[in-house]
Amino acid sequence: MPEALVVKDLSKRFGGLRAVQDVSLTVRENETLALIGPNGAGKTTAFNLIMGFYRPDAGSVVAFGRELTGLRPHDVCKHGLARTFQVAKPFGGMTVLENVMTGAFLRDRHPGSARDKAREAIAFVGLSTKENVAARDLTTIDQRRLEMARALATQPKLLLLDEVMAGLNPTEVDQAVALVHRLAERGLTIVIVEHLMRAVMAVAKHIVVLDHGQKIAEGSPNDVMANPEVIRAYLGSTAAR
Amino acid sequence: MNFSARINAVLAVLLAALIALPLAVTSNFAYDILIRILLFAFIGTSWNLLGGYAKQFSLGHAAFFGLGAYTSSLLQINYGVSPWLGMLAGGVVAMLASLPIGWLCFRLRGPYFTIATIATAQVLMLVFLKFRDFAWGAEGTTMPNLGSAPLMMQFEGKAPYYYVALGLLLLSLVVTFYISRSRTGYYLLALGEDQDAAEAVGIDVPGEKRNIFMVSAFLTAMGGTFYVQYIYFIDPNTAFNFDVSIKAALVSIVGGVGTLFGPLIGTVLLETTAALLQSWLGNQAGVQVTVYALILMAIILWRPTGIMGFAKEFLLRKKLRATP
Repeated sequence: MPEALVVKDLSKRFGGLRAVQDVSLTVRENETLALIGPNGAGKTTAFNLIMGFYRPDAGSVVAFGRELTGLRPHDVCKHGLARTFQVAKPFGGMTVLENVMTGAFLRDRHPGSARDKAREAIAFVGLSTKENVAARDLTTIDQRRLEMARALATQPKLLLLDEVMAGLNPTEVDQAVALVHRLAERGLTIVIVEHLMRAVMAVAKHIVVLDHGQKIAEGSPNDVMANPEVIRAYLGSTAAR
Repeated sequence: MNFSARINAVLAVLLAALIALPLAVTSNFAYDILIRILLFAFIGTSWNLLGGYAKQFSLGHAAFFGLGAYTSSLLQINYGVSPWLGMLAGGVVAMLASLPIGWLCFRLRGPYFTIATIATAQVLMLVFLKFRDFAWGAEGTTMPNLGSAPLMMQFEGKAPYYYVALGLLLLSLVVTFYISRSRTGYYLLALGEDQDAAEAVGIDVPGEKRNIFMVSAFLTAMGGTFYVQYIYFIDPNTAFNFDVSIKAALVSIVGGVGTLFGPLIGTVLLETTAALLQSWLGNQAGVQVTVYALILMAIILWRPTGIMGFAKEFLLRKKLRATP
């Protein structure tokens, strides 16, 4: 499989804090990669660096053979990358359909056909019955669905999901996992940041572990779970012995 | 007849009534009120593109009003250029001025943006106050009276001014209608809600803000030209009056920001109230401002979505009751 995303030696400091340090990772096309790590490990910062919300101090981001380092988020989006936010950011005053249309407009400037494409994305995430509901009136899981639909409507090749399962109940987690599986079946390359190990194990065969902004482990779920460095990062040094 | 067809019918009747209105109006006082309503509805509608749809709350639109007024006046008095052309030139000047103003102000968000826009309008007023050789300084100047000269935007009687103002209002409504239904309209609403999320779905937020600011500034400047032609006088205090900035925002808030007809409805309400108060109570200092403030407080407390929001809610509730 060719490479979808190649991140090389990415670094970002905020004052004295090294949020991300020399992180490199490669995501192959049609692969689902999970980015895990304790709170403050730099996962969301890595997303923001990849998507252009922050400018990296050093390192490079290449997606589908194109250099994206230093591009603004809307340009990164044009190159086929889309993301969701850890705290959902719906356009609250707009309806579900209007929200998703803003995504569809990226590839189609005509409201009529953008509306059709938005409806497809809404149906895919299972929100069709709530098409005309104002986004701010949705429940947490529906807001996450909306974020996914809006990202999907931009017709991305690579989707970055930032803790889409946080705050969901077990049934909803199962639904979200199923949704991620269907996205992967559609041929999308997915990078998912997630705390919930049950969900990570269910969706990803390739895991990268960050701690204090550095990559400490990478591999299959079983390898990563057996890695003493990972156990130390999550549970402290005594547990690793 | 379905809902939107009924709305269109109502709009057509209203438009016909507005066109026919001068047949019924005889007093200059009434004309004055009508023209002010149309003018401020026009400025409010132009403001609403930036302040309502994109939620970039400017309180500095007097800058563009004043630039429009001064551009056409300078062109007319110094070079004999018709204000009709001056109006377009003023629009272009305002549009170009919006670029550096936007470059400065848009890096700020929320109240800081608003304060920066106030400051730029005030600075422009000071500039025109200080430079006497350039634009008559603080004394200002009267427009040359040419009698009946339609090509120079001067007319006998008030009816033609009424139609010019009506034309401007219709122009701004048509522009708003097309923008609101296009991709740009959705983009403005989206970036007004959340700029990061807007960037993430591929919206060039700085670019969209810059473009709509240019359109809004262009239209507002046309209002400035019309206003000095109507009152035959210009000075910095008239052209860059903070009142213009406030009213542009106020009529939209009262009527409903981010809606096509909100600013018009807000202007009708505020201006008729102001006119009635004036005729009942005379020009007592403070009365108008007090009532303005009371209306604003009432709206913000009870109907933050404005009159249009109230109407939408009302219709929705009626519909819900009708379908069991």
